[in-house]
Amino acid sequence: MSLKAESVSPDWFKHKRADKNLIVNPVIPWLMIGFPVLILVAIVIYPTIWMGYHAFQNTNMMKLFYQDWEYIGWQNFATVLSDDRMWDSVGRLIQYLIFGACLEVLLGTILALTLFELVKSQLARVIILILLVLPMMLPPSIVATLWKFLLQAYNGAVNHLLIKIGILGPMERIEWLDAGLSLWSLTMVDVWQWTALPLLIVYSGRVSLPPAIYEAAKVDGASQFMVLRRLTLPLLKEIIAIAFIIRFMDAYKFVDKVYVMTSGGPAQSSELPVFIAFQKGIREVEIGEAAAYAWIIFAVAMVLITLFLKYLKKVLKAQTFA
Amino acid sequence: MDSATNRLIRYLFLSFLAIWLVFTIFPLYFQFITSLKPVAEINSMVPTFWPETMRPENYSGIFADPGSLKSLIDSLIVSIANTLLSLFLGTLAGYALARFIRGFAGENIAMWILSNRMFPPVAVIIPMFFLFDATPWGTDSYFSLITLYLVFNLPLATWLMMVFFRDAPRELEEAAYLDGFTPLQTFFKVTLPLVFPGMVSVAMLCWIFAWNEYLFANLMTGTTVKTFPVHIPSFTSGSQTLWNLVMAFSMVAMLPPVLLFIFLRRYMVRGLSLGVVKG
Repeated sequence: MSLKAESVSPDWFKHKRADKNLIVNPVIPWLMIGFPVLILVAIVIYPTIWMGYHAFQNTNMMKLFYQDWEYIGWQNFATVLSDDRMWDSVGRLIQYLIFGACLEVLLGTILALTLFELVKSQLARVIILILLVLPMMLPPSIVATLWKFLLQAYNGAVNHLLIKIGILGPMERIEWLDAGLSLWSLTMVDVWQWTALPLLIVYSGRVSLPPAIYEAAKVDGASQFMVLRRLTLPLLKEIIAIAFIIRFMDAYKFVDKVYVMTSGGPAQSSELPVFIAFQKGIREVEIGEAAAYAWIIFAVAMVLITLFLKYLKKVLKAQTFA
Repeated sequence: MDSATNRLIRYLFLSFLAIWLVFTIFPLYFQFITSLKPVAEINSMVPTFWPETMRPENYSGIFADPGSLKSLIDSLIVSIANTLLSLFLGTLAGYALARFIRGFAGENIAMWILSNRMFPPVAVIIPMFFLFDATPWGTDSYFSLITLYLVFNLPLATWLMMVFFRDAPRELEEAAYLDGFTPLQTFFKVTLPLVFPGMVSVAMLCWIFAWNEYLFANLMTGTTVKTFPVHIPSFTSGSQTLWNLVMAFSMVAMLPPVLLFIFLRRYMVRGLSLGVVKG
């Protein structure tokens, strides 16, 4: 609901308040919002503060058990920031964000527009759309297990398919999950699964554009390429940006396929920052260090999310005015 | 641009679409045929691209195995309970945010709630592990999973319900008040029917996310409660994996979200884009 509409239409809520005859007791809305907020405070804010506290303690499993951790200042942060394992994983994360999230949005946009503009039959479009978007609905654990099976070096389906096509010789094998390729394989699997999201969003956005403006462009004799550049892409700009934001934030916390497919290995070659934080906290129970990791990840996410949400709000507001 | 180049570009894009379609379908096709093969055929040096011997018993094997069945039921319990809870709380908060708490406070509360969905859960899970460990139910319980899945589903449900309630015309509610409806009557008889399709889409999305969830389930549970993603590794013993059963089990487990998507995709687009695409 837009601000403009509010100021124009009579506001029954305010009107009744003026009469001292409230429709709803003003406490009730705060109760309605209070329960969910309290739950989120308990399951998100409390843990975050807990981690913030332990980031400055030398907590590990034994110390947590006997409750005798002590304050060590910024030492955990220093350990984390001077750790090569951390910086290597940051490099991998950047690689993954570029070739995962960005590529997904690019491919999704191209595929969605190709599907809409160049496939003429309505039925064919719907069927192709459903098939292309299917991977997104699959549980990530199943996707990861399936690809681990397909990418096996010796009798995996992918290598044998490449042999059949003639890209590989009959005795050649690509070790998809060894140290050199594991992160690329993970990225490929993620692209396989999540190109569907930008595709679906952009396709639906394109469907909802009014046909009238395209009629006008046709009358003016604009070529299809011109229409795409001057009309479709500018109109879909915001929708594409939102799709990118959603993918980017999911990719930033990407960890489930790493667990199933490679467990960060071999030789730590596919570890991402979030994965290391989990390993530190859950497997090694170095709570203090894990907390410092988590807080660094958290702080970066906070900056990104604040920017993204501002943009999302702007887009939603602009829509209601349109 | 002359028409020959134009046509060439079209064919280029169409063939890219075709290649991508094959790339998308092939793994799913291979999963399906693997679920019908006997183990010996899967472990042979050269994989077959169509089963030489059909073995549909893989599927009956899944349903005869109590562990597999229990994991599917556990997944159902956790995902349905979490969806209902998210939907109920999300509807309450979404309505309050759309109608009563507006302006600066309302917008910031809404943004804060949504931001919870985007945060990496890494800061949440370690403290929650110790917190649930201290409760009488322990970490390995329905309670812990149903609660933890609220981390991502409650913000989504609240935000989307807020967007749907804002779309529902306020004038209808106004008219109902003037006709003497109480707030509760107005809510149930006027507002709720208006946002019902939206509620369906929120429920579907929350359910799919809860059903598919792996990370929390893997770290928190595994013995008393075992959802299906956590059950998959149990088809492996030593170095031997019964891939035919893994694939058959996966086919069964992924069928519900896929069917939901095929029939209700129109309702889901809005939710998946956080309310931006009208769909």
